[in-house]
Amino acid sequence: MKNEITLQTRREFLRGTVLGSALSWTVPTFLADTFMALHGEAADSATQIATGKDATILVVLQMAGGNDGLNTVVPYSNDYYHSARPKIGQTADKILKLNGDIGFHSAMTGFKSLYDSGNLAVVQGVGYPNPNRSHFRSTEIWQTASDSDKVEKYGWLGRYFDNACAGADPTVGVVVGRQLPESFFAKTPKGICFDNPQNYRFLSPEHPKSGQTDMTEAAYEKLNETEMTIPEDNSGGSIGSLPAGMPMQGGKAVDFIERTAMDAQISSDEVRSIAARVQNQAIYPTSAFANSLKLVAKLIGGGLPTRIYYVSQGGYDTHTNQIATQQRLLGDLGDSLKAFVDDMKAQGNMQRVLVMTFSEFGRRVNENANGGTDHGAAAPMFIIGNKVKAGLLGRYPGLAPQDLFQGDIKYNVDFRSVYAGVLENWLKTKSAPILGRQFEPLQVV
Amino acid sequence: MLNPLSKDGWNYETAAHLLNRAGFGGPPEAIARLTDLGHEAALSSLLDYEKIPDPTPNPVWAVPDLGRAERLRAMQNLAPDAKREAQQAEQRAQAQQIIELRGWWLDRMARGPRPFQEKMVLFWHGHFATSYEKVRDAYYMWRQNDLFRQLATDYWLRLLIVAGQDPAMLIWLDQAQSRKEHPNENYAREVMELFSLGEGHYTEKDVTEAARALTGWSLDRQTETYVYRPLFHDNGDKTFLGLTGNLTGEDVMEQIIRQPQAAVFITGKLWNFFAGQMPSPELNNALADTFIKSARRFKPFLRVMFRSEEFYSESVLRNQVKSPVQWLVGTARVLQCDLPPAFISAAMLRSLGQDLFAPPNVKGWDGGITWITTNTLLERYNDAATLVQGTTQQLTASDFARKPGGPGGIIQEKAAQRVHIGGVDLEKILTPEERADKNKLVASLQHRLLQSTFSNKQDQALRDFLDSRPKLADADISNVIRLVMSTPEYQVT
Repeated sequence: MKNEITLQTRREFLRGTVLGSALSWTVPTFLADTFMALHGEAADSATQIATGKDATILVVLQMAGGNDGLNTVVPYSNDYYHSARPKIGQTADKILKLNGDIGFHSAMTGFKSLYDSGNLAVVQGVGYPNPNRSHFRSTEIWQTASDSDKVEKYGWLGRYFDNACAGADPTVGVVVGRQLPESFFAKTPKGICFDNPQNYRFLSPEHPKSGQTDMTEAAYEKLNETEMTIPEDNSGGSIGSLPAGMPMQGGKAVDFIERTAMDAQISSDEVRSIAARVQNQAIYPTSAFANSLKLVAKLIGGGLPTRIYYVSQGGYDTHTNQIATQQRLLGDLGDSLKAFVDDMKAQGNMQRVLVMTFSEFGRRVNENANGGTDHGAAAPMFIIGNKVKAGLLGRYPGLAPQDLFQGDIKYNVDFRSVYAGVLENWLKTKSAPILGRQFEPLQVV
Repeated sequence: MLNPLSKDGWNYETAAHLLNRAGFGGPPEAIARLTDLGHEAALSSLLDYEKIPDPTPNPVWAVPDLGRAERLRAMQNLAPDAKREAQQAEQRAQAQQIIELRGWWLDRMARGPRPFQEKMVLFWHGHFATSYEKVRDAYYMWRQNDLFRQLATDYWLRLLIVAGQDPAMLIWLDQAQSRKEHPNENYAREVMELFSLGEGHYTEKDVTEAARALTGWSLDRQTETYVYRPLFHDNGDKTFLGLTGNLTGEDVMEQIIRQPQAAVFITGKLWNFFAGQMPSPELNNALADTFIKSARRFKPFLRVMFRSEEFYSESVLRNQVKSPVQWLVGTARVLQCDLPPAFISAAMLRSLGQDLFAPPNVKGWDGGITWITTNTLLERYNDAATLVQGTTQQLTASDFARKPGGPGGIIQEKAAQRVHIGGVDLEKILTPEERADKNKLVASLQHRLLQSTFSNKQDQALRDFLDSRPKLADADISNVIRLVMSTPEYQVT
């Protein structure tokens, strides 16, 4: 791959003329490097550059609110389960059986079909030591892959970008949503986020007729074109020379923003053009979550050089009236993902894509008085892909009183082992620098 | 080091710099006024804020809610449906209050008479980084905010103790749950790592000993105030940073402050906040010396800092990325316009990455270049249009998409409203000549918004735009203001 780098795209052309990416900001020796040396450095990392169309892609799916794992992957033959869930328990006649003991919630026909076709792995009993029952804190733990008594500044995906994607296009990470999740927080922030591609742009008040130039937008583009040129020597050129004794991060703040502004212009054009050009090749349900996946499918089909997509589906905080809510959410989840997989297969991209779900916690074993469940601990994760080690991974957690901790399911797979497996075996990068230490990678693919 | 800026060094540009950094900037008249005062009097006009009356009333709900603890307890005994309803009503009220609180504070920053005091409150909020997401009580968040205001430039020891005994902090870092039988180490660790010394300047043993000494610092939920509970306190001997005895929480704080590193740590962080970069080791040592000589009181220290030639050096001037708050509040100040309604401002700041009263974690906001991503940059450019051109919007629920577990109640209530947002009074900020003459208009706007000038090419881009207009309508002028704000140059100060 290293030898195949050519400057063909508009993006690369621009990068070639303006000193490359935001990487320069954090590399103190930047001024001593030539542009091509930087380019070579990026190629050595796990980053895809021009030939990104064949690299692997991870889709991270957040089931926000704390999904009730017990009613998702149901231990239907377990008496403890039925006595803990007299009102909301899933009965054997309804569930979609995986074996003699467990089965999917009745709404998850999409998942069942993926499971049967060998595209779905269920990682059972995932959690972490000393679980926290606050949404805020437990989400943070999952997003930063920290121990439950430590606070990390950066997210695990952000650390992946920092460690393995230096010099990459900002679209190396794409979040479909209104806000960057904490998992994207990074030393050198990367990734773009939008709920609708039409919002990821400079919005002009003008409505010119077709063929006419939008003068406001034209002015914005010119105002944000950078005038930097490659410095001829190490004196710094327009980067600005720094007075002694004043350590800066490597340049003037405004230079960094100029580079980001250029990245924004280019990625905005690209995202919108792909969204308008590429058609979905499967029938998705009608829901906001399905729309997110439709968009991800288009961007993958359009060849955006993205390694990580992030989507989320909310509403899993089922303290009350859980049966109806979970029926709707899990049905939407399974059907949307099934459509997404069909779409990927039709595109010929299925072998490149892996989907991983997570939720900040499972819920308590005992149902509450309101036909719902309260915040708990361990729960299953789902991994979907062509090369996935399909089937049931890990073992189902025990529900007998002695197997529980304060009424909660104990984890037997640390979620960071799942992350480690995905990082090492799918994204092909070392996991220890990203997760802080070496976790036993769970063989997910 | 830290010699005063020379007399010739004080001019419109350096005055603007002081007002931007020690406050939130202002219109040309305010900068001119500051320039005319001379450096020393200009400093005093900002720093000696006690002399300026600030009649801003507190939010009506900013008093202890003496019935709350009892009310919450009683809820537990209600029938399931009634309990749920009561809890939701309580949450809605809290969610409403926290949004009001954001608006109340932003308004003080944007229009209040003591911008420097509010800038310090913003510093302390980022420093002690306490989040409503865990505290879940708007009154406690207001109380902490007000405490930062009262002690904004006071003695470090006093502030550190009072901040540790503050109810929001007692909840945020779990000190309220600490007992001698099982001391909670969360606050004991963070007070050293994040608030006062930095990693590597204490041992794990110091953390456990400090946690023991801090037992007894507690929260009285009835009165919603700090209380010392002798029964919770571990009266055994502890050894902390070399000091041995039956130490109390106050002893621990005092011993921390005595460490030379404590002065290096806090002055480095203040320099970074106001100057926009970490100081060199030599400069940091000079700052720490000044702080110790100021009896570890912030006001005299900051006066030296804002007086120093280093603060006005080439690498500091116009080289700080505006934080989202600085960007929003500064825009309202330079364009002499109102902020949008509280819940719009709050939503903007959240999207831009600085959700007030909800920092991302105990480490606070990273700041600097991390404020800028392709995403937040486009968002700033588009929010600029909203602020300048104004809009009437039919709000939808997705405008306030909630975080998992975040406050959501307000959203449904406001969802059906039409709200008017933003808009600049052009007659207030531009003379008739400036509104009629393209050259004068562009020059005036650069002067007001950037306090510097664009490159020739950018200048040309604005002129090309204006030349495409048959005449200078107000909409065109607003559009030019928005375009000037839609540049990398407007994102720095």
